Amino acid sequence: MAQSFPYTYYACDCYDNNTSTSAKRASQILAEADEEDRTFDPRNPRSNYALYPLEHLLYCDDCQQIRCPRCVIEETLNWYCPSCLFEVPSSVVKSDGNRCTRNCFNCPVCISPMTVNSIENPDAPSATGGPYILACPYCHWSTIETGIEFEKHTGVHGQLARVANGGTPVPTPKEREKERERRKEFEARQRDSRNLLSPSQDSPTSDLHRDSALPSRDDVFSNLGAFYKSQIEAQTPSNPFSAHDLNFSSPSAYSRIMNLYSSAGAKKQKRGKPSPMREAASELEGLHVYDTVSDNAAIERIKRDGWGSTLSQTQKLAQIDPHANFEDELRPIATLLCTKRSKRCRSCRHILSKPESKITSTRYKIKVLALSHIPRLSIRALPNNAAPSTPSAPSTPAFSQQSFSYSNLRSGIPTHFLLQLSNPLFDNVRVTLATPSTTPGKIQTRVTILCPQFEVGANTDVWDDALSSSVPSATRSSAADGQIEAGKIWDRGRNWTSVVIEVVPGFLRPITGFGQADQADELDEDDDLLEIPIFVRLEFETEANAEERGLGDSRGSKGEKEQREAAFWTVVGAGRIAAM
Amino acid sequence: MSAQPAPSRPGPDRRSSTVPKRTSILPKPSSIALDPSVLIAQHAQITGTHPITLGPNTVLHPHSRISSALAPVVLGEGVVVYERAKVGVGLGPDLDAESRRSSMRSSGGTIRSDGVVLGRNVVVEANAIVEAAEVGEGSVVEVGAVLGRGCVVGKYCTISPSSIVAPNTRLPDYTVVYGGSEHRLDKTLQLRPEILDAKMAVHRKQLEMFKKLVPNQVAKWTV
Repeated sequence: MAQSFPYTYYACDCYDNNTSTSAKRASQILAEADEEDRTFDPRNPRSNYALYPLEHLLYCDDCQQIRCPRCVIEETLNWYCPSCLFEVPSSVVKSDGNRCTRNCFNCPVCISPMTVNSIENPDAPSATGGPYILACPYCHWSTIETGIEFEKHTGVHGQLARVANGGTPVPTPKEREKERERRKEFEARQRDSRNLLSPSQDSPTSDLHRDSALPSRDDVFSNLGAFYKSQIEAQTPSNPFSAHDLNFSSPSAYSRIMNLYSSAGAKKQKRGKPSPMREAASELEGLHVYDTVSDNAAIERIKRDGWGSTLSQTQKLAQIDPHANFEDELRPIATLLCTKRSKRCRSCRHILSKPESKITSTRYKIKVLALSHIPRLSIRALPNNAAPSTPSAPSTPAFSQQSFSYSNLRSGIPTHFLLQLSNPLFDNVRVTLATPSTTPGKIQTRVTILCPQFEVGANTDVWDDALSSSVPSATRSSAADGQIEAGKIWDRGRNWTSVVIEVVPGFLRPITGFGQADQADELDEDDDLLEIPIFVRLEFETEANAEERGLGDSRGSKGEKEQREAAFWTVVGAGRIAAM
Repeated sequence: MSAQPAPSRPGPDRRSSTVPKRTSILPKPSSIALDPSVLIAQHAQITGTHPITLGPNTVLHPHSRISSALAPVVLGEGVVVYERAKVGVGLGPDLDAESRRSSMRSSGGTIRSDGVVLGRNVVVEANAIVEAAEVGEGSVVEVGAVLGRGCVVGKYCTISPSSIVAPNTRLPDYTVVYGGSEHRLDKTLQLRPEILDAKMAVHRKQLEMFKKLVPNQVAKWTV
C-alpha cells in the first residue's frame, strides 16, 4: 500500500450493489448471501478495487451512500488545451481530433512545451518578422533540424500541416488526386506501349521510376482511401435520391448494420450478398509492397550515424507516424487536449461534482465530498505503558508518536492503538464498531475494541464547546488517569471520541512446538501487514430532507426529525509485523 | 572555506568593513590577475592559494564563489558567474569536506592541480557548481547543474538545469545535456551560425546591462 502507516481505507460496496440480482445465477446469489455474513477481507483480491482513502470518495445525498471512482459516471464538460487554456468546442474535437490546432506543440525529443522563435536576419529584416521556428527551450531541439520554417508566428499548426520534413510542401488532397490520375494514365499508356514493344526492354525503367519516389505514408493512405472509395462506388447501385446516404461509412449504413445485429438472426432477410471486393493491387491503389531497400538503407544509416540518430521508444510512440525511426523524421507533437468532467452518481444520476466551466478556474460549482458526510476514522499508537504519572494526554501521544515504529510491530505483545472518530455532521452520532476477533489472512492477529459502542458529539460551532462544557473532560474519559478500561472511552472532544483498541500481532511463523511439524508455509508479500477490518454503524437523528418533506408542507414539518443510519466497512492499516 | 565569516552582520556597509578580517581567515589568492574591465559585485568571494585570472568583461554576481584552493582558476573574456554559483576545484557537494582537509594538508601544493578554465562568454547560472577542467566558448551551465572534476566541455554546450555531469567526462562541441543524463547534439546551432551570432549578441548586451545595474566592487580585490 502506498500510504504510510497508519492509514484508513473505506470500502465502497458498489460492486455488490450494482450487479443486479436478475443477472446472477442461483449459486451466485447463495454465495452472495454467504458473503453478507462474512467479514470484509482486505486480502481479497477484489477488495483492492473497493478500498479508498476517505479523501478520494464522494457522497451521494440522495442515495445516502459513499461513491467511489467506480460508481460515478464521468461526463465531459468541455475540452481545452492545457498549454494555451483555450476551450475547444466538442464539434471541433470531433472533426479535427483531440489536439490543439493553434500554436501549442510539445518537443518530440523531450516533450517540454515548445516556443515560437524568430530567426529574422537583423541585416535584412522581413515584413512579418519571420522566418519563425518552433524551438524547445529545454533540450534545444528545433524545427530547423528537420528543415521546417514558418512564415507567420500564428497558426503554426496549419502551416506545419502543409510542410513535410525538409521543407517540401505537402500536396493537398486535390493535388494528390490529380497526381494519381496523371500517374494512372501514364501507367496505362506504358502498359499499352509495353504490349507493343518487347517487355524486357521496358521493365528496368519502370523499376527505376518506382525506386526514385518511395511513397510517403500520407501518399499510401490517400491512395488506399481513394481506391476503397472507388470500390464502394462501384458496388453500391447509384440511387439518384439518396446517393450520398448509401455510402458504407454513412450513419444510415451504421444503423443498418446495428439492426442486423440486434434482430439476432430472427428473420434472415434475403438480400443479395455483396460480391467480394477486390483488394488493392498496385501502388497507385495503395498497395505497399515490402521492400528490403528501405530496411537496408536504415541499417546503413545506423552504421553511419550510430544509435544517437535513432529514436527512443517513447519518442517513437509520441509520433503520429508509427514508422518514424530517425531523428530527421521527427515532427513536433501537437499538444493533447484535456477535459473538464463532472461526476454523477451511477444509480440516481445526481451530480456529485461539477467544476466551473471556465477553463482558467480551478474551482468547483458542486462538490459533495464524503469527507463532510462520513465520520473520519483514524488510528494511531497509544504509548504502550501510559504511565499514570504522565500529566496530560494530548502531549504524551504526540511525543511517543515519533518513537513508535509502525512498521515494526512485535508479535505476541499486546499493543494499544487509539481509534478516533471525528464527526463532520451537525448531529450527535451513536457509533457501533465491530471487528472480527482475529484478522483474516495467514497471520492471525487478535483484535479487541475495548469500547465498541459510544457517542460522538455534533460538529457544532467551536465556541459552543468552550461556552457550554462546564464538565471538564477529565471526568468523562479514562485518558486522564491513564488507565485503559474496557467499556470506557479513552477521550472525547467537541466532535470526536477516541477509544482504545488492543491488538496482539500474530506470529509470522507458526511456533513449532511439541510434535508439531514445521509447516514451511511461505508467506506472500504483504502478509505481514496488519490491516484490521472494522465495521462501522452510525445512528443519528437529523432533520428530514427537504425533498422528502415536499415543498408544500415545508413550514408545517419544520424541525421534524428523522432517524437515519449508515453502515460501512473500513480497513485500518495499523502497521507491519516485524520478523523475528 | 564554506563558512561565511560573521553571518550575523546586518548592514552592507558594516559587511564591507569586515573584508580585511575575512582575508585574514581565508587563504587569500596569491595572485589575482584582474582585467580592468572586470565587474565584481559586492558579496562575491574569491579565495584560494593558487592564482586566479579574470579576463576582460567578466562578471561575478553577488555571492558567487571562485576558489583556487586546490588549483588555479582562469575565467575567459565575458564570463558570467551568477549568484551562489561556485567555480573551482574542490567546491563540489560531496567532496567538500574531504577536499578541505586535503587542501589544508597540501599547503605546499603537492596534489595534482588541473585547474579550471572557462572559455569566452561562458555562463554559469545560479547555484551551479563547476569543477570541470575546461569549459569551451559560449557554453552555458544552467541553474543548479554540476560539472564534475576534470570534465572537458566543448564549445557552445548547454548543461540543462540540475543535470549532473560525472567527473572526467568529455563533451564534444554543441552537446546538450538534458533529462538527467541524456546527451544530444544541438544541430540547430550547428546548422545555423547566424543563430549563434544572435545568441552571442544577446550575451554582449547582457554584459553591458550588468555594468549599468550592478555596482562594481572590483577595487576591493585590486589592492
